[in-house]
Amino acid sequence: MLVVRPSNFVDLTSIERLLNATDARVTTLPKDRDKLSEKIGQSDDAFKSGIDQDGPASFLFVLEDTDNQKLMGTSGIDTEAGGGYPFFNYRMDAVVHASHHLDVSSKVPVLFLSHELTGKTLLRSFAIDPDHKNSDAFDLLSRARLLFMACLPERFHREVIIEIQGIFDDKGECPFWDAVGRHFFGIDFNTADYYCSVKSKTFMSELIPQHPIYVPLLPEVAQGNIGQNHEAANRACQLFYREGFSKTVFIDPFDGGPVLTGELNNLFTLKQVRHKKARPSDVVGGLKYLISNRSLSDFRCTIGTLVDGIGETIRIPENVAEALNVKEGDPIAYAPL
Amino acid sequence: MYIRPVAPTDIDALCTMAKNSGVGVTTLPDNRQKMQAKLDKAVASFKKELPEKDRLYLFAMIDPSNDEIAGICALEASIGHDDIWYNYHVGKTVHASKDIGVHKITKTLYLSNDLTGSSEICTLFLMPDYRQNQNGQLLSKSRYLFLAEFQDLFGRDIIAEMRGFSDEEGKSPVWESLGRHFFQMEFSDADYLTGLGNKAFIAELMPKFPIYVPMLSKDAQEAIGKVHPDTEPALAMLKAEGFDFNGYVDIFDGGPTVSARVANVRAVKDSQLYTVAVQDETPVPDLTRKDGLTLVSNRRFDDYRVSLINTAAIDGTTLHLSTAQASNLQVTAGDSVRAVALRPRRPSDD
Repeated sequence: MLVVRPSNFVDLTSIERLLNATDARVTTLPKDRDKLSEKIGQSDDAFKSGIDQDGPASFLFVLEDTDNQKLMGTSGIDTEAGGGYPFFNYRMDAVVHASHHLDVSSKVPVLFLSHELTGKTLLRSFAIDPDHKNSDAFDLLSRARLLFMACLPERFHREVIIEIQGIFDDKGECPFWDAVGRHFFGIDFNTADYYCSVKSKTFMSELIPQHPIYVPLLPEVAQGNIGQNHEAANRACQLFYREGFSKTVFIDPFDGGPVLTGELNNLFTLKQVRHKKARPSDVVGGLKYLISNRSLSDFRCTIGTLVDGIGETIRIPENVAEALNVKEGDPIAYAPL
Repeated sequence: MYIRPVAPTDIDALCTMAKNSGVGVTTLPDNRQKMQAKLDKAVASFKKELPEKDRLYLFAMIDPSNDEIAGICALEASIGHDDIWYNYHVGKTVHASKDIGVHKITKTLYLSNDLTGSSEICTLFLMPDYRQNQNGQLLSKSRYLFLAEFQDLFGRDIIAEMRGFSDEEGKSPVWESLGRHFFQMEFSDADYLTGLGNKAFIAELMPKFPIYVPMLSKDAQEAIGKVHPDTEPALAMLKAEGFDFNGYVDIFDGGPTVSARVANVRAVKDSQLYTVAVQDETPVPDLTRKDGLTLVSNRRFDDYRVSLINTAAIDGTTLHLSTAQASNLQVTAGDSVRAVALRPRRPSDD
């Protein structure tokens, strides 16, 4: 059975193996053991302190196949994008250059550096085993975070954002990076990406160009990639659009990928979520649901079938109850898959 | 050949000249009405009817054999007064991070009006048939003796805008890579509009934010601060006079602006006063040679004249002129004149 739970230090080598196996870039999870260990430590603190903790916190979840204890994916939430530092984006804006006298008018797209999204809740660190990419596991791993947030809404910003991977090719060449960042960072995309996850955040402020960038000056390929997601992120985009996220005017400053935003309380999962007491039962059937316990430090989320009804309690399959570590009468949350 | 201020009757000749000049000489508009306005302004300037900063001193080179105008040149007293003077300042942005060992200097163009208030040498145009016998030198440098004589009427700095690089098809890489995106017109059209004195459209259409040079095409990057091949000799001439690139370029074609302190221009600084003696036998200037020639001005404001003489005609503080030369310069024996060697005395320039 596939279960999402908080990461812990035992997962370290498994996460490393997973990161090496996935082609998707996971900027927020460093391929560096010390840094990764630090991340898990931060997440551990966050899960343990729950709502008592002040300031930015970072939650890291893993997807585990409980049948063989294999780790199949990771996903995370930052309560505050930037984690107390500026969170960098480009804002797609425009200036109109017009001369009435000459009857010339052109609306020129311009990218402005922005910290506007700093402090909003950020979904991040998503990586999934390639074999599970096209299954319900994908939705489980991604949406378990929303169910977690539904149990602890006061800990999160009312606006949730996510950076979608922008376009780069098999060799790691990223046209947007080559047209913009590369001139100032003097390093290739993969290196920049790597530094992002392992170096201090100040290098961003030090190197990112501060002046607005006129889009027509960029090569056409780079222009075309602005706000476009990598095809590997199609499924993620569809999932988020279904949830009620939409594209913003903000893009990733490195690869030009889109930033999506959603109102926490208006997301499909949060609107559909039900909080009830569990009644483990051998009754099977019904529709597929995401089901989670309501524990913070021992958060669990999985997929199971149930028949929703009225009343304080809800029957859930026994193997689900076992996977969630819940007994009769324990609170659970569930939302349609 | 001699230089004199333009006169109201020169209008036809000036229009003919504008037709011949084509793209690149933005200050010589091929439009009779505008040319008339320019001529009127110059005439009023020499009559001191305009405030000092508004004046435009336009000079004509006359062929005494037929009294035709062979070329023109001008001095703008102070740029950026009745309109806005734009340049890109070629500056630097430095991005550095010790953490990841990066230190990157990025050439950056900043739109500026920094040169406002400088004086400008401009509008030099010599008819093709006259491009010989040091005429270009005489025409261009005649202005320095005017500057030397009337320094109080000019700014501290004198600038010259050099025509920027364009390829064999006349395309300016800087325009193609930068201006075109905002102006949606051909370089020649933008150039023409500027020549007409219509600079409002620049303010309306020009990008106001700094431009990172590495974001321009390779060709454009190379063309910033580079002169048109035809302008190389003019640039060399200005450099020999003490002008130097001042870090500002033309916003359309990226051509460099060169500047100097007026007082430090070689022909201003080295010019000296002499007393005229007129006689029939004077050394004839050999105009086929680069050396041995001296520029002489009559020091007058409203009927300013400059001509070339043989350096050998200078004897101490006396400057010997033939009757014809004295007539061209409108001087008589005993008058005071200002003179300077046509070229700096440096063997490397010969």
